[in-house]
Amino acid sequence: MQPNQASSAGVQSDIQSLLPSGERRARLRRWRSLKDQMSRYGIAFAGISVVLAFTTIFVYLFSEVGPIFSSASVEQQQSYQSPEQQPVFANLERYGEVGLLANKAGELQFFNAQTGELRQKLQLALPEGASITSFSRGEPRSGIIAFGLSNGQVLVVKHEYNLSYPNDKRLISPVVTYPLGETPLQLDAKQQAILALAVQEGPSGTAITAFTADGRLSYNLFEAKTEFLTGETTLERSEYQLPDAPKTVLKMLVDTTLQNLFVADTQGNIHYYDIRDPATARYVEAISAVKAGQTLTALEFLVGSVSLIAGGSDGSLSQWFLVRDEHNNFHLKHIRDFDQHPAAIVQIEPEYSRKGFMAIDAKGYLGIHYGTSARTLLLEPLGEQLQPERIAISPINQSFLALDKNGTVQHFALENAHPEVSWKAMWNEVWYEGRAEKDYIWQASSGSDEFEAKMSLVPLASGTLKAAFFAMLFATPLALMGALYTAYFMAPALRGKVKPTIEVMEALPTVILGFLAGLWLAPFIESYLSAVFSILLLLPLMMIATAYLWRYAPEKLRFALGHGWEVVVLIPVIILLIYLCVQASPVIDQWFFAGNLRQWLTDNGITYDQRNALVVGIAMGFAVIPNIFSIAEDAIYNVPKHLTQGSLALGATPWQTMMNVVLPTASPGVFAAVMVGFGRAVGETMIVLMATGNSPIVNFNLFEGMRTLSANIAVELPETAVGSTHFRVLFLAALVLLVFTFIFNTVAELIRQRLRQRFSNL
Amino acid sequence: MTQQQMILNDAELNLANEKIKLEVNDLRLYYGDSLALKNINLRIPEKRVTAFIGPSGCGKSTLLRCFNRMNDLVDICRIEGKILMDGQNIYDKKVDVAELRRQVGMVFQKPNPFPKTIYENVAYGLRLQGVKDRRVLDEVVETSLKGAALWNEVKDRLHDNAFGLSGGQQQRLVIARAIAIEPEVLLLDEPASALDPISTLKIEELIYELKDKYTIVIVTHNMQQAARVSDYTAFMYMGDLIEFDATNKMFTNPSQQQTEDYITGRFG
Repeated sequence: MQPNQASSAGVQSDIQSLLPSGERRARLRRWRSLKDQMSRYGIAFAGISVVLAFTTIFVYLFSEVGPIFSSASVEQQQSYQSPEQQPVFANLERYGEVGLLANKAGELQFFNAQTGELRQKLQLALPEGASITSFSRGEPRSGIIAFGLSNGQVLVVKHEYNLSYPNDKRLISPVVTYPLGETPLQLDAKQQAILALAVQEGPSGTAITAFTADGRLSYNLFEAKTEFLTGETTLERSEYQLPDAPKTVLKMLVDTTLQNLFVADTQGNIHYYDIRDPATARYVEAISAVKAGQTLTALEFLVGSVSLIAGGSDGSLSQWFLVRDEHNNFHLKHIRDFDQHPAAIVQIEPEYSRKGFMAIDAKGYLGIHYGTSARTLLLEPLGEQLQPERIAISPINQSFLALDKNGTVQHFALENAHPEVSWKAMWNEVWYEGRAEKDYIWQASSGSDEFEAKMSLVPLASGTLKAAFFAMLFATPLALMGALYTAYFMAPALRGKVKPTIEVMEALPTVILGFLAGLWLAPFIESYLSAVFSILLLLPLMMIATAYLWRYAPEKLRFALGHGWEVVVLIPVIILLIYLCVQASPVIDQWFFAGNLRQWLTDNGITYDQRNALVVGIAMGFAVIPNIFSIAEDAIYNVPKHLTQGSLALGATPWQTMMNVVLPTASPGVFAAVMVGFGRAVGETMIVLMATGNSPIVNFNLFEGMRTLSANIAVELPETAVGSTHFRVLFLAALVLLVFTFIFNTVAELIRQRLRQRFSNL
Repeated sequence: MTQQQMILNDAELNLANEKIKLEVNDLRLYYGDSLALKNINLRIPEKRVTAFIGPSGCGKSTLLRCFNRMNDLVDICRIEGKILMDGQNIYDKKVDVAELRRQVGMVFQKPNPFPKTIYENVAYGLRLQGVKDRRVLDEVVETSLKGAALWNEVKDRLHDNAFGLSGGQQQRLVIARAIAIEPEVLLLDEPASALDPISTLKIEELIYELKDKYTIVIVTHNMQQAARVSDYTAFMYMGDLIEFDATNKMFTNPSQQQTEDYITGRFG
């Protein structure tokens, strides 16, 4: 009989209970239930916090990324009577405070863009009896404009806005200068009226192209020469007659390199002249830029004067630029179309600092388009009663002026922060300016406004997969075979040393691995490339040969080493083989590869970068091996002994038992190990940052580098402007990375669950 | 089958008239430095059921595992002496352990089917022997399952996971798996100790049927089971073989005091 039973029942009081008194036990029960409750809520709180934290990260990433997919919006601010009814040119200054209108009488009027109040009026000094017959605007940022006169003269004007802060208040004062002199230049000696004009400032001077009333096309270059001794500046003029002038001219444009001239005629053709050397200028080709039966109504350069935007009478908008062919000749190529307007394009207004533009059409629709991403961010009537015939955008894309047919000026606020990218442009080939064909390119920033940001995520995503693939190619066989041997064949004492050692490798900072890979391994592999391959080839053979020979070693020796310690024999063999391969490398190079394998590869058309996928595969492989090894080894080691014994008792050899029973049973764990390793390889940053060369190229060549999503974020995030498109695309890259690992982990978990179900009840 | 028959048969048994399958000569087994089996000498007759009984830790399972060299898997285990099977020392250097284990099958205390289908469990041993012909496999699986008295219960779900079977069925499956590779000796290590009475009865009936074909050595804690199924019984105590004789005689008239004490429940 149990003593405590007796006492709790209250009978047989002669047997003393050793349990605490009832009151104390009740107190203990309350205390225990309190602890239960506390731990329950504590754990629930911690769990919910984790979920919340993860959700917050997701929400934050999405909130940073979201704006790049939003469209543009405009909002009407002020409306006032226009100081000028029929302007040939309108312009808006950076802060949207001062506007400029130029008319056919040669008047320049600067006015307050908020109220319409006239600030400054300037009459150009036109000669008696001459009227303005043509107008041209140079690169918008240069502020250069030119007027062609009926007597063959040209007047070039430059307008700027000077900024000063008297009494800590911003004061914008417009300034007009005459770079080629205040008096008009006699461009055409025959005094024919200039019907069309193209002015541009280039590296060698100011170029003026003129189309005269009698159908001649002349090209004039004005170079400012400074006298060395006196410091006196003189203008030197060279004049060239261009061949094959078109019959009619709608618009002429010269690019800022002063190498190419584009002339649009009224039939819808663009004529391309090569004027690299004006003396031997060449008419290259005429291209029809609109559909049959339509005509061109507007033609304008995008910033950088590489791309042409052609607007047609049917409201079509298309982008064109020169593309080099295989014979090194340039041809004007159609690149992409934009959403069509409902009526003929009236004006195209390019943005100042990126490859976007606005367009208005005859029905009063305003379109906001972007070149690189082929996006149309807005296409709608500007206002119910509005019929804009001229627009001017501020250089920072925050406001614009629209001059209405009825003589009013509307001042609009513009919201168009991230037109540069679209989902399509990020994942598809895009034809970038100056490229021979469509391509996937990541080149997000440069020092110049004219630069076209190339933000294709394909090179980064494929670089990530490439790095992970080669790392896994290196790590998986080594780690899994190591795990198999350690868990199943190795002597327990040796396993007790090997396993913790490999697991400690996991704690090795990856920056050290990356540093070693980039600064030691990469140059080493480059100079001993043939050694690397001979090791890869010979090491497995050598290991098998050693194992075979070991069977015939003297029994005494084998017994002394003990069962499960055989692997120790391999250590000197491996070291010796690596040493010999490295030593033999120059000889192998000499015999088979004409002295140098690296050079031999290059000669055979295989690009070799010093920091390449081979280096990354080995370095990141080393980082991933402990992860895979540790989990896989546990999984294999934990296969119940009664299963392996059952198999052995049926006459299976240890190897058969391993392959037929142990591995299938451990497969969920082994699979999880490989996926964990892959997840690590995809997200790994430091090693790929230091050892890949960070070249965002799309290929799977073992000897070329790559740039991964994570390394790209690490490289570029610190130097991008917060809130810029580039900044947000980097966040998108982070999101893509997160989605990558999320998908891999989910798939891995699902497969693991299924496997586990199959091998449950053990 | 009746208990009567068995006892009648037992009465005629005499070791001197038997053909000997396994012969243990001066077997000593060490675990590290401790001696677990002390000079065992034993002769196990062919196509008979021999039971090993004795208190826990007496070495009966260890001795059983010597017959298919499962003790080799224990690193610190060392063996001296000989075990002859059909006159051949199974501890000879030239013996292929895997082939020995094919000849000497073993069934463990806890049912240990592989995480495979019923069919694949039975076919496993044959596949190890390189049998790939589907017809051969089908036939062997069927005869083995019939031999293990499991066929009728599983013939419609051969390709289901073996874990879906009950404990008793799993143990019979393991026996089917063992007999599929045509062993000469079957070692049963407390095959019914994890099973309910009805499953136990079925296993015992099966053992009775199997002894026509195989030499069976069974380790059991259950004295009644030993009495019911075995022809010969060995009583072991503290690593010593105390007494070995026909079961009938052991249980009615043991020659050693220790045996009688154990059988009558005075210790152990």
